[in-house]
Amino acid sequence: MTIPYNTLVVAAGVAAVGFAAGVVGSLGVLRKRALAGDAAAHATLAGVAAAFLVSGRRDLPVLLAGGLVSALLSLGGLVLIRRFTKTRDDAATAIVLGVSFGIGIALLSGITARGIPGGGGLEQFLLGHTAALTAADAALLAGISLAALAAVWLGLKEATLVAFDPAFAAASGWPVPLIDYCLVALVAVMVVVGLPAAGAVLVTALVVIPPVAARLWTDRVGAMLLLSGCIGLIAALAGVAASGLVPRLATGPMIVLAAAAIFLVSLLFAPRRGWLARRLGPRIPLTFE
Amino acid sequence: MRRSIGSGKDCGYRRPERMILKLQKMLFESSKHPPDQAPHGAAAIRRRAGWRPFALSMPCVLCVWIASLIATDSAAAAGPVRAVATTTIVADLVRQVGGGRVAVDCLMAAGIDPHSYKATPRDADRLARADIVVSSGLHLEGKLADLLEKLGRRVPSVAVADGLPREKLLPVTDGLFDPHVWFDAALWSLCPPLVAERLATVDPDGAAIYRKQAADHAAALLRLDGEVRKRIASIPPDRRVLVTAHDAFRYFGRAYGIEVVGVQGTSTESEAGLSDINRLVDLVVTRGIPAVFVETSVSDRNVTALREGARARGHEVALGGRLHSDSLGGAGGAATLEAALRENVEAIVTGLGGAR
Amino acid sequence: MAGEAGHGGPHTVEFHDVTVAYGRRPVLWNIDLAIDAPGLFAIIGPNGAGKSTLLKAALGLVPLAGGTVRFFGQPLAEVRGRIGYVPQRETVDWDFPVSVMDVVLMGTYPRLGWFRRPGPGERECARACLGRVGLSDVAERQIGRLSGGQQQRVFLARALAQQADVYFLDEPLAGVDARSQEQIFRVLSELRAEGRLVVVVHHDLRTAAEWFDGVALVDMRLVASGPTASVLTGDNLRRTYAGPLDVLDEIGLAVEQARRTR
Repeated sequence: MTIPYNTLVVAAGVAAVGFAAGVVGSLGVLRKRALAGDAAAHATLAGVAAAFLVSGRRDLPVLLAGGLVSALLSLGGLVLIRRFTKTRDDAATAIVLGVSFGIGIALLSGITARGIPGGGGLEQFLLGHTAALTAADAALLAGISLAALAAVWLGLKEATLVAFDPAFAAASGWPVPLIDYCLVALVAVMVVVGLPAAGAVLVTALVVIPPVAARLWTDRVGAMLLLSGCIGLIAALAGVAASGLVPRLATGPMIVLAAAAIFLVSLLFAPRRGWLARRLGPRIPLTFE
Repeated sequence: MRRSIGSGKDCGYRRPERMILKLQKMLFESSKHPPDQAPHGAAAIRRRAGWRPFALSMPCVLCVWIASLIATDSAAAAGPVRAVATTTIVADLVRQVGGGRVAVDCLMAAGIDPHSYKATPRDADRLARADIVVSSGLHLEGKLADLLEKLGRRVPSVAVADGLPREKLLPVTDGLFDPHVWFDAALWSLCPPLVAERLATVDPDGAAIYRKQAADHAAALLRLDGEVRKRIASIPPDRRVLVTAHDAFRYFGRAYGIEVVGVQGTSTESEAGLSDINRLVDLVVTRGIPAVFVETSVSDRNVTALREGARARGHEVALGGRLHSDSLGGAGGAATLEAALRENVEAIVTGLGGAR
Repeated sequence: MAGEAGHGGPHTVEFHDVTVAYGRRPVLWNIDLAIDAPGLFAIIGPNGAGKSTLLKAALGLVPLAGGTVRFFGQPLAEVRGRIGYVPQRETVDWDFPVSVMDVVLMGTYPRLGWFRRPGPGERECARACLGRVGLSDVAERQIGRLSGGQQQRVFLARALAQQADVYFLDEPLAGVDARSQEQIFRVLSELRAEGRLVVVVHHDLRTAAEWFDGVALVDMRLVASGPTASVLTGDNLRRTYAGPLDVLDEIGLAVEQARRTR
């Protein structure tokens, strides 16, 4: 049975995004910046709505560019709050997330309420909807994903160093804040690229769940990144397949459910770190002498 | 972000009421301006003189305003009837029937999607001040239902399609009907008399005029119906499939013998899934359909994806044109239903290979 | 060795009038300290006295509110490649998915510069360093599955891989068993024998007297610095710790001094 062209196009784009999101997300999780990724994700909505209002066009590149701008602005706001106020990290992230998301929702409901031509369907960016991806759109998503993967491959050494021991990295002369910003910006890019697939509300799951699941299976960074990418890819494809079979189903929740299922399996069955292995296997002492 | 309200049409308020309303608006709006904005009018007076003169003048203004209302209610209706219509299509209908006696204000501008439009407080205001509110009915204005229902108790209203005989309507799900009745010209020709009757209750003096204009318009619609029927018939039978962005043309299809398929459902609120697009690509390729159509008030994305899918299977599908579906007008577009229907038909016939 | 520029050249490490504050709270005041290679030098003081901060200030990890730090007479930026750092063990997440070898290789990263991966040369160096600290057999193990002493030795191996001339170690012996402590000190002594300077923030007075050539007593300000025997007097210690010394410490010190003067 041949797979319909549209399904192939959507699958190719989403698979690339899922893989890259898993890989980039691993670095974010290792650097303990997962929450910042969530703030960026929620902020993209405002940018998407604003881009549509300003340009009047529904082309994916335009909307995603707007989403990226607002995501980076929100991350900048986070940095400013941390630098100039005494607000703690988690509270600052919650503030930025809430405010930017609120603006986004307000703009979005304004657009639908006004019935602006072409505005119908922008709510799809909330929960993800990949049905109408054109080949050009899919190519854009895949291209950006590949570029992100190249960046990760290039700077893996620096990213791992800064994630593991920032004090040692700084003392060795590495520009730790710069590397940090680049890492978080890369996560923001992946979050934006993941919008059509999973939507602003749920794309964090695509960036956080695969790394955490992969961690359970391996103790090496390289393997963790690769495995996380594969899990992200499978989850993304599963989500698209599920929403393709059932009409009118948003893709975002299906992707999250698929990723969560893989995580649950990992939690139970991973060798050594899984629950079953710990119950059944010999008590492995965690320290040696 | 500015909205163009049915521009160019005179509001038709009477002079004393207009003055009172202007003063009222100035006073109310000035109280919202922050102090550092350049104050004007009443706000400037208030700032220089303090609060007390303002507070004392309010009751006076209120009394004058109430008096003018009472006066206008008891006076004979002078000036045109103020009608507020929801969609551009309904607005056109009211203009045709009302003629010079009715000033029509349209709520939604050209190109606006009526399925998702939500009213602002200002809209509610306009509707409440009208002499008559005309809506399309059958839940086309899905988000305005509550508002229209509440208004219906205070302001004379007519929901045009609601008055049509049920057996002529196409059901969607249990209890609901497809509201896109206007593209069946013969069916729509039953509506002018309904509007005329309602106008007559509001403006009894013009009853005869309304009835005549309604009859004229109905006759024109019936003539149009015949023309369209002939034009559509010129399309080869195996090509008579109309693929559009959403299911707005079912009445059109039933009346003129052409099969209609929408990517989205009857309301633009529901979204097309991958399976829907695949199904349609199949349909378009296996039936060899030469053209598909986008709409003025709905996004193109689904149709674009559809065309790509067909192209990948070696079947080039042209974009037949942009049809008016839920709205008239737009850039250089048709301002009346007749013109819109003619334009649609020409696009369809040309796209699907009918006689020129 | 400490405090004198006997040989006439610039000091290996020189703190001049160093003041560090966290926000408005001063942590270090007017520290003047000079240390020369070769040597094993300890920085000792009560908790919260600013010992770690002194190290971090030297390495540019915290900003100086006043004063300068010079290495071989030059500012840090120009000689970074010659300075090695071993941070406290708690600063690191030991659950991080890296192996012992991966961590030691990180010591070679500054030499590689941006984007280059470690090659066979770097791996050789890392293996040699692991051998020196006695961890060759756990090279592929994930770092979380090591004992405290082994973890500290991994950090030490990483520092060795940096091939630096001056080493700063922050509490390297905290929570480490006796055997690992001895192994670590053996390596540090080897470094001294190679002509390098090793500066250690240390917590234990007993071992300080035995193992270090020079000591600086720090309690927000510099109480005293110089050769161990002359600095670790009861008087100085009382001024530093500002409270009754632990009796055992006093006894231990007295025993040590008696042993030396015999």
